[in-house]
Amino acid sequence: MTLLRIECPPDLNLETGRTLFDGESFATVRAGDECLIDLSQTREMDPHGGAWLIRLAEAVRLRKGTIRWEGESGQVADLMSLIEPGLIDEPPPPAREPGYIENLGGTTIAVIQEGREMMSLFVDVIYWTFLAPFEGRGFRWAHFYDEVHDMGARAVRITFLMNFLLGLTIAMLSAAQMRTFGLSIFVAQLIVIGFARELAAIMTAVVVSARTGAAITAEMATMVVQEEVDALRGMGLNTSQFLIAPKLLALIVVLPCLTAIGMVAGILGGLCWGVWVLGFRPEIWLNETLAAAQWTDISQGLLKSLFFAITIVLIGSHNGLRVTGGSRGVGQMTTRAVVMDIFMIIVIDMVFATFFYFTVG
Amino acid sequence: MHHDNPKDDPIIRVDHLISHYGESKILDDVSFQVAPGEIFLVIGGSGCGKTTLLKHMTGLLSPTSGAIYSGDQDIADLSEEARAKMQQGIGIAFQSGGLFNSMTVGENVALPLREYRQVDARLIPAIVRMKLSLVGLADAENRLPDALSGGMKKRAGLARALAADPPIVFFDEPSAGLDPIMGAGLDDLVLELRRLLGVTFVIVTHELDSIRKIADRILMLDRGQVLFEGTVAEAESSGIERVQQFFERRPDTYIAQRNL
Repeated sequence: MTLLRIECPPDLNLETGRTLFDGESFATVRAGDECLIDLSQTREMDPHGGAWLIRLAEAVRLRKGTIRWEGESGQVADLMSLIEPGLIDEPPPPAREPGYIENLGGTTIAVIQEGREMMSLFVDVIYWTFLAPFEGRGFRWAHFYDEVHDMGARAVRITFLMNFLLGLTIAMLSAAQMRTFGLSIFVAQLIVIGFARELAAIMTAVVVSARTGAAITAEMATMVVQEEVDALRGMGLNTSQFLIAPKLLALIVVLPCLTAIGMVAGILGGLCWGVWVLGFRPEIWLNETLAAAQWTDISQGLLKSLFFAITIVLIGSHNGLRVTGGSRGVGQMTTRAVVMDIFMIIVIDMVFATFFYFTVG
Repeated sequence: MHHDNPKDDPIIRVDHLISHYGESKILDDVSFQVAPGEIFLVIGGSGCGKTTLLKHMTGLLSPTSGAIYSGDQDIADLSEEARAKMQQGIGIAFQSGGLFNSMTVGENVALPLREYRQVDARLIPAIVRMKLSLVGLADAENRLPDALSGGMKKRAGLARALAADPPIVFFDEPSAGLDPIMGAGLDDLVLELRRLLGVTFVIVTHELDSIRKIADRILMLDRGQVLFEGTVAEAESSGIERVQQFFERRPDTYIAQRNL
């Protein structure tokens, strides 16, 4: 073990500190050596000078040496004692990245836990929406009417427009194929069946999940962040009853209506293309349309929209209620809710399509 | 302090409470009890578990182990319904007020009254006006929480906590972020409510002035453990280093030690 003495300049600052460090006076330090920083000449020291000393101490520590200082006085002594923890203590290790297996296990547990949370929320919400009111336990009708207006009436225009444009586009694309066989008139049937079974329900659900689903999550999450949910629970009031049940019932009422509007809008979109571009007379196109319109197809779309409504409200409130971490969390949860919504809408749609394929045909 | 019975049973009793958040232990074997009519202060530095303790005492969190007795019932054991019933008998005032932003201040205060359905509905507006006057917000009844200052939100939250005349009120950081005058005003209000209505208060705070002025007894937490329980005078002469340090406002760093 040897003792290495490093003498510091009278004025220890950014420049002189750099010279001291770049001089690599510590290069000869071996394990177990002691490095003595001599501050007896130093009259002045600024924070940059101190930072260079910390840097030096780190370099010595890397070589498994130890560091000590002496001779400090006045302002230098005061500053040295302030920065002492930085000189002596090891810097905290960076957060450890979990390994692959650990990640996998963590994710699995998180998914199971989330599934369980969602299931119990589902049961709770269904109870407070459909059963509790009949037991005389109260349902917030005023809130329900507000939500119907907000989720329904105010979404009519955008739902109509989106479905209309989609109808137009589908007519355009399929007409291009059908025309080669001279079967353009069948586009009318295609549009009806497509919109009744699939497109209106999906398109409307996607619009609503982006509009209403995101709003539900953002609202709930903000309420959690601002202690409103705690306040509610602290009063012995149930969040499912108070916040979620009116929304669920409202969307269950509203989404099938919007879907029906979507069906009409899509058919109108197709009609516009058929009449203006393909040159059919409106009554011929309409006849084709009405002939192809089957109640079984329409009811498929409407039935699906009920499930979409439950999904959107449930995912929205679930994500909103489990927010952590302030305003950033609110944003993250809202994004997550919309992504989950759209994913689940597609999955549910696929399940229904498979079911109907093997039953109704 | 007036009691009906000098040997009152505790209004709330915390027994070997342990609580985790994720993997970190927030509360470690905390035990104490609060007597009726007492102003009981939970104090300690930031992040010592004060607010978590309050959430446990009000049934908002479930402990890892240990129990919280309200009467002789462990509130963690209660059914959801029974817990809601218990919560209707307490008042909680939150740090930021916790007011519902979609309702006016008056509707916020009226909410517990309307939901519990224990008072004549015709009386509710009068009760709301009375509680708002108590906290000095009589003129804010029809304003939305957004339009209030931080201190006003806090006081409106207290009015809501007092709405159903609970025998015990939990108050999270009443004076944090308030100017000294408003903070002192809240202290006076707490003392008056205790004197006039016999309300028990459990208050989380770290404001020294407030602690000295209103506390009957304090519980000091440090990193989730009970450091001290007793009166302020006992705390200041306890000889426990961390407690002394807190009351003398001595920081941890070197500057403080040098300036002694």
